[in-house]
Amino acid sequence: MVEASLIDYTKFKLKSTQEIRGIFKETKKIFVFWCRKCYKKFEEDTEEEYNELLEILGEDAEKIVGQAGVDFLCNDFLSQKKILDLDLSPCDSVGVISCGLGAQFVAQLLEGKTVYALADSIPQSGNASSEVGYHGISLEKEKCAGCAECYLNLTGGICPVVDCAKGLLNGPCGGAKEGKCEVNPDVDCAWEKIYQRSKKQKGKFTLESVQIRDYSKPSLKLKEDLSVQNQALRKQSFYGGLYPLERKKETESKRIVSFPEPETVAIFLTQHAGKRADPLVKSGDKVRVGQKIGEAGAFISAPVHSSVSGKVISLEERVHPASQEKNLAIIIENNGENQIDSSIQPLGNFKELTAEALLKIMREKGLVGLGGAMFPTYVKLSPPKPIDTLIINGCECEPYLNSDNRVMIEYPQEIFTGIRIVEKILGINKIFVGVEENKPEAIKNLTDLANKPSNVEIISLKTKYPQGAEKMLIKRILGREVPEKGLPLDVGVVVLNVSTVFAIYEAVIKGVPLTQRIITVCGEGLNRPGNYLIKIGTSFKDIVDYCFVGGEREFLKENQLRMGGPVMGISQLSLDTNVIKGTTGLTVLRKYPLGVSPERDCIKCGRCVEVCPMELYPLYYAFYGKRGEWAKAVEYKVEDCIECGCCEYICSSKISLLSFIKKEKQYASNSNKA
Amino acid sequence: MNLAEKLKSGKFLITAEIGPGKGTDIDEYLEEMEILRGKVDAINVTDLQSSVMRLGSLVVCHLLAERNLEPVFQITCRDRNRLALQSDLLSAYVLGIRNVLVLTGDHTVLGDHPEAKPVFDLDSVSLLKVASTLAEGKDMKGNDLKGKPEFCLGAVVSPGADPLEPQLIKMEKKIEAGAKFFQTQAVYDKESFEKFIKKAEKFGVPIMVGIVLLKSAGMARFMNANVAGVSVPDKFIKIMAEASKEDRPRRSIEIAASLIKEMKGMCQGVHIMSLGWDKYVPSVLEAAELI
Amino acid sequence: MLVTQIKPEKEILERISGKNVFVFVCPGCREVYFPQEKVEEFIQSLPADRVRRVNLDYLCNREFVKEYVQGYSREIERADAVLVFSCGVGTQVVSSLLENDIVYAGCDTLYLDGFQGLTVQNFNCDQCGECYLNHTGGICPVTHCAKGLINGPCGGAKDGKCEVNPDADCAWILIYKRLKKLGKLHLLKEILPARDYHKIITESLARKKL
Repeated sequence: MVEASLIDYTKFKLKSTQEIRGIFKETKKIFVFWCRKCYKKFEEDTEEEYNELLEILGEDAEKIVGQAGVDFLCNDFLSQKKILDLDLSPCDSVGVISCGLGAQFVAQLLEGKTVYALADSIPQSGNASSEVGYHGISLEKEKCAGCAECYLNLTGGICPVVDCAKGLLNGPCGGAKEGKCEVNPDVDCAWEKIYQRSKKQKGKFTLESVQIRDYSKPSLKLKEDLSVQNQALRKQSFYGGLYPLERKKETESKRIVSFPEPETVAIFLTQHAGKRADPLVKSGDKVRVGQKIGEAGAFISAPVHSSVSGKVISLEERVHPASQEKNLAIIIENNGENQIDSSIQPLGNFKELTAEALLKIMREKGLVGLGGAMFPTYVKLSPPKPIDTLIINGCECEPYLNSDNRVMIEYPQEIFTGIRIVEKILGINKIFVGVEENKPEAIKNLTDLANKPSNVEIISLKTKYPQGAEKMLIKRILGREVPEKGLPLDVGVVVLNVSTVFAIYEAVIKGVPLTQRIITVCGEGLNRPGNYLIKIGTSFKDIVDYCFVGGEREFLKENQLRMGGPVMGISQLSLDTNVIKGTTGLTVLRKYPLGVSPERDCIKCGRCVEVCPMELYPLYYAFYGKRGEWAKAVEYKVEDCIECGCCEYICSSKISLLSFIKKEKQYASNSNKA
Repeated sequence: MNLAEKLKSGKFLITAEIGPGKGTDIDEYLEEMEILRGKVDAINVTDLQSSVMRLGSLVVCHLLAERNLEPVFQITCRDRNRLALQSDLLSAYVLGIRNVLVLTGDHTVLGDHPEAKPVFDLDSVSLLKVASTLAEGKDMKGNDLKGKPEFCLGAVVSPGADPLEPQLIKMEKKIEAGAKFFQTQAVYDKESFEKFIKKAEKFGVPIMVGIVLLKSAGMARFMNANVAGVSVPDKFIKIMAEASKEDRPRRSIEIAASLIKEMKGMCQGVHIMSLGWDKYVPSVLEAAELI
Repeated sequence: MLVTQIKPEKEILERISGKNVFVFVCPGCREVYFPQEKVEEFIQSLPADRVRRVNLDYLCNREFVKEYVQGYSREIERADAVLVFSCGVGTQVVSSLLENDIVYAGCDTLYLDGFQGLTVQNFNCDQCGECYLNHTGGICPVTHCAKGLINGPCGGAKDGKCEVNPDADCAWILIYKRLKKLGKLHLLKEILPARDYHKIITESLARKKL
C-alpha cells in the first residue's frame, strides 16, 4: 500500500563543492562517518552521499583513511560504541555527513579532534517563517511547531503557525492571490484553507478573541525536565526496552483457584524445546493422573504425562498454540475421578539424593521451563561449562500476567525448597531472585520468610520490559554480558523461572510430574479474570467459555486471544487448541478495525533501534525479510534476537517484525546445521 | 568639539546615561539632563533597557540633539530585524544623531513582556558592520543610498567576564566591523580592570570604564546575583548597608568617585550609569576631580 | 520529538460540554512522554453515555487513521464533535480526514530536541541550511545559544550560564573552550555574515516529494 503523498524528510545534503574542497585542503588524514538517514521510505540499503563526496574530491579522496556508514548516527548510545571501537589516532580530523544532530554528537564525543560537518541540513520550514515545523512519526505532510499553545481549535484543524508564512493568528493578511501565498505561489494561503474548512463545518469560523503568541512557552525548565526524565528512563537498567502499561491490578490480588475440571484434554507431544515425545499410549487405553504417556524423543526433549484419569480417545494432529501449526496430540476423555498413577511417590528427604538422581527426576517428571521457552530443565541443569551463580527469574515483565507473582506470594517456602534442590544439583552457593518492583507483596513474602536461606538474595528491579529476559537479568544483576550467539552458561550463570522452581519442588518432594500449572486469564471483556491452577491440555474454548462475557460464540470476530501476554504472546487463530506447559496466561484484547498489511513500508523512524534491548537494528530484518534475503539478516545478527517483541510493539508502520525474524532465525539455524 | 572629535583629541571622556521611562511624559528627565550640560561629553540613551517596554531611544536622542546635548543612540538587536535596524539608523541620522552604541540586548524573557518574540536577526558585530556599510553609502545588500548616515560607532565589552578571552576576541571583531570606542560593563574592582586593560589596550581603541552608582546594599547584592560580569565587593556593600537612607547618595558618590580616581589612569574615559540618580552625577564628577 | 501536555480542562470542557464526543487518544509517544493518566482521568470525568473513545497509536499516520475513521464511521457520525488527544500532527491528520466534522485538540504540543526514535537528544538541529558547525568546533550556535548569535557571546553569561536559562551553559563559552582545546581559536576571529533566512524558503520548497 504505497501512499503517493508520502514525503521524503531527509534532513541533510552534502555541502557545496567549494566548501568541501576547502575543508579537505586543511586535512591530511580524515575519517568519514556518514549517517544512513531517517524518515524516508526504506528502499535501498545504501545512501549516495559518500560516493558523491568521492566524486567531488577527485584526488583529495586519498586523504580519506577510512569510512563508516552508521544507522541513526544521533543515537548516542549505539553510535558511541561503534565510534570508540575504531582507532582514529592516525587521523588528524574526522568528517561527518549527517544532520546537525549527528555532527554535534560526534564533535562532542571526539573532543580534542577536529570534526568537520560535511553536510548542510535541509531546511524544513517550507513557507518563510523560520518557525520550524516538525513532522510526526510518519511521512505525512502535516507538521507541528510545538508551540505549546495549540491553535487548532480556532482554525478547524489547520495550523496557522506552521502553514501561514507569517504565522498570523487572527486571519489573513491581504497578500494572497487566487488563494496562493504571496511568498510562494505554489503554496496555498493557510487562512484561505482555514476559511474553506470552516465553511464545511457549518460556518464555525469565528475569530474568537484576539490571539497573541506567547513565545515564552513552552518553559525551558519543563523541556529540560522532560528531556532528562526521558533519557533516564530509556537507559534504566539496560539499553532499550519499553514501559507498556502494566495492567496487573486486575488480577494481582486474585488468589490462585482451581479451574473447573475439563471434560476432555489434548496433551501435545511437543511441549518443550527439542524433539517431539514418542507416544506410549493408543486409542482406547485407560490412563491415570500423572501417568507418562509420551517418552522423551532425544537428549533435548521431555516426556509428557496425563493430567486427568480416563480413556484415550484418539491421537490426532491439531493446531499447536505456540507454533500455530498442526502437531500430534493425545486426546483423553476425563472420567472426573482423578485417579492418581502409582509413579507418584512423595519423597521424604531430597538431601539424601545425589545430583544425578535429582536430575533424573527432572527428566522423568517432564520438567521444562515454565517461563514460556519450555527448555527441558534437566538439560539446563547439566551445563557443559562451570556455573557459579543461579538467578531465579521472578520478573514476569509482560503486562497483565500474574501467575509467577501469585506463586511467589503464596508459595515462598516451596520456592526456597526448590532453590535448595537446584543448588545441590549445580553445586553452587550464590543465588539471586530478581523480582520487578511492581510486585511488592511477592518481594515482601520472599524477603520476610523466617528461614530464608542466607545465600539467597532477593533483588527488587525497576519495572521495565523486558527485564525478565535472561540476558537483561544477567546484565542487570551481575553486570555480565552474554557473548554474541551465546547462552547464560557461557558466563557461568543458570537462569530459571520461578514457577519452574516451584514445579521442581512438586516433582522432587511430592513426586508430581508436570500436569498442571498456574495461568493468568486476563484482558478486556472478562467476567472471571484470575489466576487459575489449570490442567495441561484444557482447551482454550473451555477457558473462554468460563471467563469471557458471552462465552466463545463470535469470540474471535471481535477479540484477539494471545497465549502469553500482549507483547510477546502468540496470537491464536482458533480456540481449538489447548494449554501446554509453556502457557503462562491467556490475554484477551479487543480487536480494533485496523487491518494489518505486511506490505507497509518502513519509514526509518528509528524506534525499533531505540527499543531493542539487544542493541540490534530490527529495521533491517523487515527490509531483508521482505526481499527474502535471509542471509543478509544474519549479517545483522538476527541470531542474537531474543524475540522480546519490543520492535514490533513500537513499529510506527506496524510491520510484523517478529514473523520476519522468526523466518530468518530458522534460516540461520538450518544453515548452521548444514 | 563633538564626541568623534574629542575621541581623536585624546581628551579624557565623560559620558552619562538615561533610561527613558514607560509613557510619554518627558519633561522630568529633560530637566535632569540640563544638570549635565557642560559637564559630560555625551549622554547615552538606552534602548528598552532590561527588555522593559519604554519610550524609545530614537525619540529621546532626537530631543537631546535638538537641545544641543550630544546623545549616543543605543541600539539593540533584540526587537528589530535588519530592515528596521537599517531604517532606524537612517532615521537617527536625519534626526540629528551622530553617535551610536551597538549592543546585542537582553533577552525578552528577562523583561516585563517575557512572551514577546525575540528577534536577534543581527548580532552586535553584524550590526556594526551594517552601520559602517551605511556610512559608506550602501545598504547591507549593496544598494546605493541617497544620503549616507555617518556615525561615531561604539560597542560594549564586559571586563568582568569569565572566561575573558571570548570577550576580547569579540572586541577585536567589533573593531574590525567599525567600532571606534568602547564603554564597559560596570567595574567595581581596579585589579580585574587592570588585567582587562593590559590585554585590551593593544587594540588601540578608546575604552571608557563603566561606573554604576550604587543606590543601596540590596541593589548591590541583586547585581552580584543577577547581572553577568558585575561583582560588587563586600566592602562597598557594607558601606551602603551601614549608611542611613539620607546618607546613601553621599556614600554612593564617594564610592563612585574613588573607583574613577583609581581607574582613570588606565583608560580613556568614564561612562556613568546613574539608573535614575542623574542629579548626583555632577557631584561624582567633582569628587573624582574630573571637573 | 513532539510531546504533549493536556490542555487546561476548562478550555476543553468549554468546547465539548453538552455534546456527544468521539475521542481519539494517541498514546504512541508515551514512551517519550504522553500525559496518559491525566487524559484518562479527564475522559472518565465526562458523562459516559456521551463519550465513545478509541486508542490509536500513530495518529500521525494517515493510513491508520483512515481505517479507523471508516471502521468507526457510524459512531463518528453520531457524535457532535471529535476530540483528539495527540500532538499537533495527529490532530491535523484527523481533521484533514474529517473535514466536515468539528475536531478539537485536547493537547498542547511542545518539542524536545531530537528527530528519530524515542530518546530525546542532547542537541538540536534547526535545519537552517547553512551549517555553522565548522566555525564553532561542532557546537551549534543557532540552537544552543538562546539568542542564536553567530559572532560570539553577548555579555549576559553569568558563571558560564546563559542569561535566559541559568541551568543552561552559555553556548559561546562552550564554543570558546572547545576551539581552544582544538587549537583553533582563530576561527572565532572571523566575522560571519548575517543569517540567510531566504535560503530556508527556497531550499525547503525544493524538497522533493515521492
